[in-house]
This record gives sequence, structure tokens and C-alpha cells, in this order.
Amino acid sequence: MRFDSAIADRVTAVVLFALGGAMLWGGFVMDRLEIRQIHPASIPGLVPMILGAAMMLCAALLAWSATSAERKKPDEGSWRNFAFTAVWSCFFAVVLVSRIPFAAATAIYVAGFAGWFMLPDTPSASRLKVTVLIIGFGLVTALAISSLFRYGFLVRLP
Amino acid sequence: MEALQQFGLALLALLTPVGLFHVAWATLLGIFVGSLPGLTATMGVALLTTLTYTMERDAAILVLICMYVGAIYGGSRSAILLNIPGTPASAATSLDGYPLAQRGEAGYAMGLATAGSALGTLVGILLLVLLAPPLAAIAFDFGSFEFFWLAVFGIVISGQLTGGVSPLKGYIAGLLGLMVAMIGSEGLHAHVRFNLGFDQLNGGIGLIPAMVGAFGFAEVLTVMHRRRAELVKGEGRPDRVLPKLVDLVRYKFTILRSGVIGTLIGIIPGVGEDIGAWASYAAARRTSREKNEFGQGSKEGLTAAETGNSAVVPGALIPALTLAVPGSAPAAVLIAALFLHGIRPGPMIMIEQPTFIYSVAAMLVLATLAIAVFGLSLTRLFIQVLRIPRELLMPVVFTLCVIGPYALTQRVFDIWVMVVFGLIGFVLRQMNYPMAPLVLGIILGALVDKSLRRGLTLTDGDLTPFFTRPISAVFVVIIVLSIVAGLKPVRRAISRLGWFRQERKDA
Repeated sequence: MRFDSAIADRVTAVVLFALGGAMLWGGFVMDRLEIRQIHPASIPGLVPMILGAAMMLCAALLAWSATSAERKKPDEGSWRNFAFTAVWSCFFAVVLVSRIPFAAATAIYVAGFAGWFMLPDTPSASRLKVTVLIIGFGLVTALAISSLFRYGFLVRLP
Repeated sequence: MEALQQFGLALLALLTPVGLFHVAWATLLGIFVGSLPGLTATMGVALLTTLTYTMERDAAILVLICMYVGAIYGGSRSAILLNIPGTPASAATSLDGYPLAQRGEAGYAMGLATAGSALGTLVGILLLVLLAPPLAAIAFDFGSFEFFWLAVFGIVISGQLTGGVSPLKGYIAGLLGLMVAMIGSEGLHAHVRFNLGFDQLNGGIGLIPAMVGAFGFAEVLTVMHRRRAELVKGEGRPDRVLPKLVDLVRYKFTILRSGVIGTLIGIIPGVGEDIGAWASYAAARRTSREKNEFGQGSKEGLTAAETGNSAVVPGALIPALTLAVPGSAPAAVLIAALFLHGIRPGPMIMIEQPTFIYSVAAMLVLATLAIAVFGLSLTRLFIQVLRIPRELLMPVVFTLCVIGPYALTQRVFDIWVMVVFGLIGFVLRQMNYPMAPLVLGIILGALVDKSLRRGLTLTDGDLTPFFTRPISAVFVVIIVLSIVAGLKPVRRAISRLGWFRQERKDA
């Protein structure tokens, strides 16, 4: 998958053009506060309209220059690693946090994260030992961070 | 003379056991953060801001400045040992630092980087003390018209210089930042705009959650996506670390020039440390007698890059303190932290808090001394830090990204904002959109909005003063020239003149 390519630029240009259009329209139909008798040049929608128009112009230029643009060499990386990190981290931040106690959520997240990446590369002979270490690391991290914020910074944890 | 006296008093006030303790731990933490690939200075300052909000004002600012200086310096460790810059600011350092390490001179390269960083920051501090008060005085003449153009200038120049091969992507990033800033209650009539039905957006997007997402979560995703880095062979036996005086004397003009270039680049809004390093490196190569050694392990190149990026730190604080316009992304977070702690950066700072600039200079001096001491004495420890598996480090970092923004407002909504900005930040990075203009846009959005509408109200809708007032006219000319310079044919002509962008391509 290449994010820095002509096709990606064209797709982005369409998205940005729509975003610019939405902001231009949003600014245009925004309440002009006539009832408060403000100066017509200070309507709240003025700058959003300008920004929307500027974004539409830039999006058009992006689409126009997509094929001729200079490209950097793409970074080689693992999309599998990325997908797990993104999904597991979002699950922690959006689902676990605020539904179960923060310390428990953190322990599950940290241990799960480390286990997913480290256990497959561990020889089967030492897998049990590494698993215990990872669970211990998750618990210690969770307790340390929770205690720091709860008792050090007096934060009511989610 | 009065400035020196104020500086001396500020330094004395910080020289307490508690003050020195803060300098030590915050700088050390900053060096660790900077040295680990994926953890940037911006992320370090943003995360630490969430931890310092209960601290006393001066202690909190001291801690954040030490983190900033330490992290920019710390990036050189991994640039030299892993050939991966710990922060973008150290990209130029790896060009000569890594070849030196491969030749078995890793310790000496780190020592030279330490000396360059310390001296660069000192040059920057001197210019900060000299330039900030007059700049604040000039800014007194700024009205709505000038502030509008200053903000536009910042975003255009930031987009231009950080956009890499495509300034257009820099401009788009800046516009995206400005659009984000349009969300929530506006500053003139308190009308709520674009809250998309979420009451939590009535106050706008919080800068800290957005920054922690764009620089924290996005970095976690980037690090786990990237291939694993490997330490250079033979790093376990560091050679001589202390730089030879003869080398520092030989490179004195390089150090001075890089310090000045770095500081001046720092003053330009939203440009940042990486550009400061590249510009200093290019200038050193142009004037060096050992041009051929650059990129092969040149000590002069390494010194120039490290001096240049570190000098940007005080430089970036000059507009941040006097105009409330950040010179770099970490300085943008620092502005948010200043507001959190009751300091209002801007032209009034020399009236409201006349000694604060000298306090900042004193804090920078202490941080510089700390990086010199730690950098030269803890080489082995830093090598051990680079061995921490990313699989253990990154979940801890993300946990801090989650709890940090929450701790400021106690709103779960801010965690969601952080997640959204993290995902957007990752995609934008992959597409080579720079982050600095985005951040600058979020910071300057309110200024652009209020200044334009207030100016138009003052002139009854007449745009003429925006172009005819002297300072405004200068800004307009610079903005137009910058945009013209971003056009392809013009850029080709500039690159033929050997502009520093060529260095970045070579990398």
C-alpha cells in the first residue's frame, strides 16, 4: 500500500475539495447574527468561507499536480503490525477505558500488546517464562501509572 | 547591563536544590525521550505538560524547557548509533554521525554532538536575550492588520519550508489546522461554529489532546509500522567521549555560524529544528575545506548539524514569548503550557512579566549545562536505553497518551479527540504532509479569525489598510515572494543555486 502516490493524491484531493466545499457552505449559511446588529464584516462565517475556498483551490492544485509531483522513497514497514497496534490501541482508548477500571484496562492493554509482538518470536521452551514476565510488566505498569495520576496528580481516573 | 543583571537574578532564583533536581530529572527524561526513535520533543513536551499542571509556575516551565532542550539533543544518540534520528531534528546528524560510529568513533561523535548542542544553545540564548525585548517593543505597533498577516505569514512560510518536495502539502496541512481551529465558540461574538452536534466541541478542539494524538499516538503507530532498528556494531566499547579542544577551536566559525543560522530559523514561525540543522549543515558544507568528507563521517558536518538544531530551541522561543507565535512544534505546546500556568505570551509580556524572558534564558542555560554533563558522562546508559524493546515501550507511551489529556480536563471526550488526531496524523505522515503547519494552524486559527474580522470592523469593511500599513505591506511582500518561491520553475532555479533542500534529497 502506498500513501504517497498519484492515486492517493487524487483521492485526497477529492476528500479535501469536499471538506473545503462543506466549510465554504457552512460559513455561508452560518447565522449572521443580524439580531445582535453586529458589523456585517465580522460575521462568524467569514473566515470559514475563505478557508473553505482556499482548501478547494489547494485540492484542485493537488489533483492537477498529482502525476508530476516529486515523490520520496516510501518507507518499508509492516502493515500487520500497524493494524494490530491501531485496532488494539483504539479498543483500549475507546472501549476499555471508562467501562472497566483504568488500572485493569491498562494491564490488559499493555500485556496484550507486548504478548502479541513478543510471544511468537519466543522459543517454546521459554514461552511460559516470557508470558509470566509480560503479565507482570502489564500489572506493574498499570499500577504505577494509575497510582501516579490518582495519588500524585489527584486525578479521578476514568 | 540591566539585561545581564536580570539574567543573573533569574539564574540565582533557580539555583535551589529543588530547582536543580527538576533540571536534572527533566533533562535526563528529555534525553531519553529524544534518543528513542519515535518519541519526539513535541510529544515529550505535550505529555509532560499534562504532568506539570499541578506544579508551581516557574518549576513547571523549567521542567518543560529542560524536556525540550534534552529531547532535541537526545535525538543525536540514535542518529549516531542506529542511523535513525531519534527526532526529525537529528536527521542531518545521522549523515556524518553514523559513519563515524561505524569507524569505531561512536563515543567521540556523541561527545562532539554534545559540545555542538551545548554551544549552539548558548549562542541561541544570547540572541534570545538580545532580540526578544526589541521584538516585543516592535510588536507594540502591531494592530489587527499586522497580526492577521503575521499569522498568515507563519502558516505560509511553515508550509513552504516543511513541505519538503511539495510546498502545496505544507499549505494544505496549514489550512487543515486553521479549519480545526474554526470549531467551537469564536472569539468576537461567542457564536458556536461547526460543533457537529457535540456539546463537548463548543469550547473547540483542545490543543493538548490534538498534539498528543498527532505526535504521540501517530508516533506509536509509525514506530510499530517501521522496521526494527539495529545498533551499530561495536557500540558496546565506547571510545574517547570528551571532545578535543583543538576540534572545537578548528570549528569555531562553524559553531558560531550554525548557532546564528539555527536561531534565525527558529525565529521563523513553525519551521523548527530539522530545518535549522539542514540549513546549518548546508552552510558548513559550502564553506568547508573538507567538503568531500561530508556524508562520510565529517566531524565538522556533525558539529554544524547539532549546533544548528539546538540553536533553534531558544530561537523558537523568541516569537513564542513576544508574539505568541511558535517558532517550532514543541514551542507551540509550550505556548499552551504557558497559558495553562497563567502566563500570557505576546507583546505585553515585557510589561506584565518583564523578567520572564530572562527567567527562560536562565532555564535554558541550566538545561544546556545538564545536557553537557549528562551527555559526556552517561554515554553507556544512553546506549542501554536504546536497547529497550519497542514492544514494551510503546504501550506505556500510548497509555500516557490516553491518561495525559484526560487528566487536564477529566473528559473522556478528549481521549477520543486524541485517538482521532493520532489516526489522522499517521495517515498524513505516510502521505508526506508535514505536521508543523497543522499545529501552527490550530494555534494561530483564532488569531487569523479575530484579527481579520476586527480589522474589517475598524475600517468599516475596507481592505486597504491590510495592504498599505508599512508592517502589513512588508508581510504581504514576503508572503507573495514565499508562495512564488514555492512554484516549480522558481524552485528549480533555486535548487540550481545549491539551496539546502538538495541536502535533504541526498539523505
